[in-house]
Amino acid sequence: MASHSSASIARAGGNPFLRIVGAISTLAGWVSAAMIVSAVAITCQMIFVRFALNKSTVWQTEAVIYLVIAATLIGLAYVQRLRGHVNVDLIPLALPMRARRVLCIFTLSLSIAMVGTMLWYGYEFWHFAWERGWKSDTVWGVRLWIPYLSLPVGLGLFALQLIADLVAVITGVDNPFGLEDI
Amino acid sequence: TDLRLSHQWSDNDVRHKVAKIVADEVAAADVDLDIRIFPTQSLFKAREQYTPLSRGQLDMTVLPLSYAGGQQPAYNLTLMPGLVKNHDHAARLNESPFMDAIEEKMAGDDVMVLVHGYLAGGFAGKDECITSPADVEGKQMRAAGKAFEQMLAGAGASIASMASSEIYNAMQTGVLDAANTSSSSFVSYRIYEQVACYTPASDYALWFMYQPLLMNKSTFEGLSEDQQAALLAGAEKAQDFYLEEAKKEDAESRRVFEEAGVEIAEMTEEDFNNWRDLARKTSYQAFVDETPDGETLLDLALSVE
Amino acid sequence: MDPLLLGALVAISSILVLFSGVSVALGLLIVSAGFLIIFDGMRSLELMPEILFGKLDNFALLSIPMFIIMGSSIASTRAGADLYEALERWLTRVPGGLVVANLGACALFAAMSGSSPATCAAIGKMGIPEMRKRGYPDGVAAGSIAAGGTLGILIPPSVTMIVYGIATETSIGRLFLAGVVPGLLLVVLFMAWSLYSTWKSGNAQVLSAGSYTWRERFEILPRVLPFLAIIVGVLYAMYGGVATPSETAAVGALLCLLIAMIIYRLWNPRDLWVVLRDSTRESVMILFIVAAAGVFSYMLSSLFITQSIAEWIGTLDVNRWVLMGAVNVFLLIAGFFLPPVAVILMAAPILLPIITTAGFDPIWFAVVLTINMEIGLISPPVGLNLYVINGIAPDISLKTILVGSLPFVACMILAIVLLCLFPGLATWLPNLVMGVAL
Ligand code: NA
Ligand code: NA
Repeated sequence: MASHSSASIARAGGNPFLRIVGAISTLAGWVSAAMIVSAVAITCQMIFVRFALNKSTVWQTEAVIYLVIAATLIGLAYVQRLRGHVNVDLIPLALPMRARRVLCIFTLSLSIAMVGTMLWYGYEFWHFAWERGWKSDTVWGVRLWIPYLSLPVGLGLFALQLIADLVAVITGVDNPFGLEDI
Repeated sequence: TDLRLSHQWSDNDVRHKVAKIVADEVAAADVDLDIRIFPTQSLFKAREQYTPLSRGQLDMTVLPLSYAGGQQPAYNLTLMPGLVKNHDHAARLNESPFMDAIEEKMAGDDVMVLVHGYLAGGFAGKDECITSPADVEGKQMRAAGKAFEQMLAGAGASIASMASSEIYNAMQTGVLDAANTSSSSFVSYRIYEQVACYTPASDYALWFMYQPLLMNKSTFEGLSEDQQAALLAGAEKAQDFYLEEAKKEDAESRRVFEEAGVEIAEMTEEDFNNWRDLARKTSYQAFVDETPDGETLLDLALSVE
Repeated sequence: MDPLLLGALVAISSILVLFSGVSVALGLLIVSAGFLIIFDGMRSLELMPEILFGKLDNFALLSIPMFIIMGSSIASTRAGADLYEALERWLTRVPGGLVVANLGACALFAAMSGSSPATCAAIGKMGIPEMRKRGYPDGVAAGSIAAGGTLGILIPPSVTMIVYGIATETSIGRLFLAGVVPGLLLVVLFMAWSLYSTWKSGNAQVLSAGSYTWRERFEILPRVLPFLAIIVGVLYAMYGGVATPSETAAVGALLCLLIAMIIYRLWNPRDLWVVLRDSTRESVMILFIVAAAGVFSYMLSSLFITQSIAEWIGTLDVNRWVLMGAVNVFLLIAGFFLPPVAVILMAAPILLPIITTAGFDPIWFAVVLTINMEIGLISPPVGLNLYVINGIAPDISLKTILVGSLPFVACMILAIVLLCLFPGLATWLPNLVMGVAL
């Protein structure tokens, strides 16, 4: 079975680094959940304003879109901590413990490199929008660096949690792929 | 050399045909230049084409320029109510100092125009005809473009923002009372099934959108002289085609709506002037307020006869 | 390099990377980055965050977390148990009535939840222990709930239909309606099989549900009212001119949260947080796959692989039903390994032109595709519903669950065959309500 049971969560042991990163990711998870709830509330407010009051809805659609994007990006780290990103662990399960550990260190390193690259270019993209003063082409005209900020922040937190997971596997605090020993 | 051209429309849309003409002409010129077209947003989403274009990650695109109005506020003038009166007037605008000023802005983003072109659009009402500002008061409307939203709000309409693909549903369930979009969208989304009255673009039309074929400037300058000449020759041919087809689309949309039994309304000169007066107070004013040299640009546009 | 050869290379690399145990979304990003660097140059990496952001920049995606909240807030109350109990009290005389009641409850719950795991959990928490207590074999108890739970993505609302609608630019309202009749068809097939197998086992007498008085039967009915209120409220908002389908999801989420809090007294902040945490986890997981699959499809399109495959299939000149058969086998295999959302986003841009060229209706195809994905949900190695059952009843072995769900898989395949014979099963309702499509 793959790692998707709701009970599983990244272990931190007594390692202060792992505990701090875990706490940051949890905080990010709260922020992400709060953003989703705000999106629900704003959408309902928009329907009310339009249907009951017959007034214009200028900013709601856009705000909701940006909230959902930010909830996704900022929630990545927390979901990683909860082992909520689905994977196929057919091969890891079939491997003996030693090989499984090596494979896990490899895939985690690759993931960190990937997220790190995205973080770098995501930061550049955010900076570009900030420097040039880009706005969205709507009546609301939101300054785009604000929603784009979720790219470097979300990817940065995600990278941090992935690094913590790598440290946990290397130091033996957590099992590779979060799988129990056979 | 391979060039990539991205746009948001299907193969039978006039804007695809414009791109295709350029691609075919360039291929026929046999100058070692190949344009690969990515239609229907298959590479980039509609509103996400300008940034890669200006950074040289995309070579060419057919783009409603106002989509990039958040990056260059001046572009908002290319979708301004009442600024263009008809297709021949649009053609004169393309050759004017106003367009030179817009092209200067593009050059700053490393972007240049290959083919100029405007497409027009109209209004459709679920129960009533929309011709004058008084007709939209108290209605839930969807408008194509920021400046139109500002003008319609000024006339007392409520604005609901949604994609043109959602208009059909929203009209059917009654979320919307009226909508404004391009002639081709009205036809392709079969809005005629949902409305009682259609006001197409004709002698007087409010809604004109500038949708040129753009190219990254550095990429163009990096081509050989033969290749540049072939591109420009293809572009010239495409531009003539574009103007003719743009005129035909308005007539075609009128025919389709008429055949579907929808009432056709005409906008009079008086209606047009009323709208324009309203736009001066709303959209033009907002434009001037948010654009550094907005006043000058607006005067340049208005001075084209 | 020839785009078709390149496509084969991408397929092989994707399988290798995804089987390494890396998460599906990151795996898709890694494969995309690799091919973009090699064939489009380093500079294309610059674009990746922008494309990732852009793929999420879509109002319709809002409905994914909303429909998930609907399911998980109700699932955390005893509403699922009420529903199941009500159905049970009315089905006492039917042999195998308990399984039938469970399947009916799954179907009703599916009409409120956009995701399958939530449906599975809501009914299974009560249904599985009860069925085992009354002597149903473990396989039947687990298999029926696993399969019944998959209805969550076929009976509207449905997260996968939303994703399909976005990927193919088809009307989400129409897609939702298309799932109704096939969903009911599957319920009937599932129930028919359950009744038949109970009858055949010779335990029909034993396996009828307990006996209830008429008073007990009527007493429980008011407890089903909140469900009806939610379903009617959502339907009214969606088809009654209050809101567009994407906006309706928020109304549903709010209604479900309010009903959970007011009627079922879900007041405790800790309990509320569990609902939010589970919804956030599932939504972020799905939305990240949506974004990553978007980058993947950019890569396929940029390297001209999508276009070449469609062109190549077009030149093959095979019978359209052979083509449909091949497409189904492909979807089934993909569904074994990947979550539905990933399959839809990766396959839709390639398959849709092929399907429409061969004269199939994209709305009808969405239903066929969804049933294929349902099979994937109850098959290893990535069968999300299996984890849910495993969480509810850890002592039932994976093998027992799998063998128990096999007959239901057969029902789903039968449903696909029926849909091929009678496409109207999917297209009739949307055409009736929303007019005939182009
Ligand atoms: Na559902
Ligand atoms: Na599976």
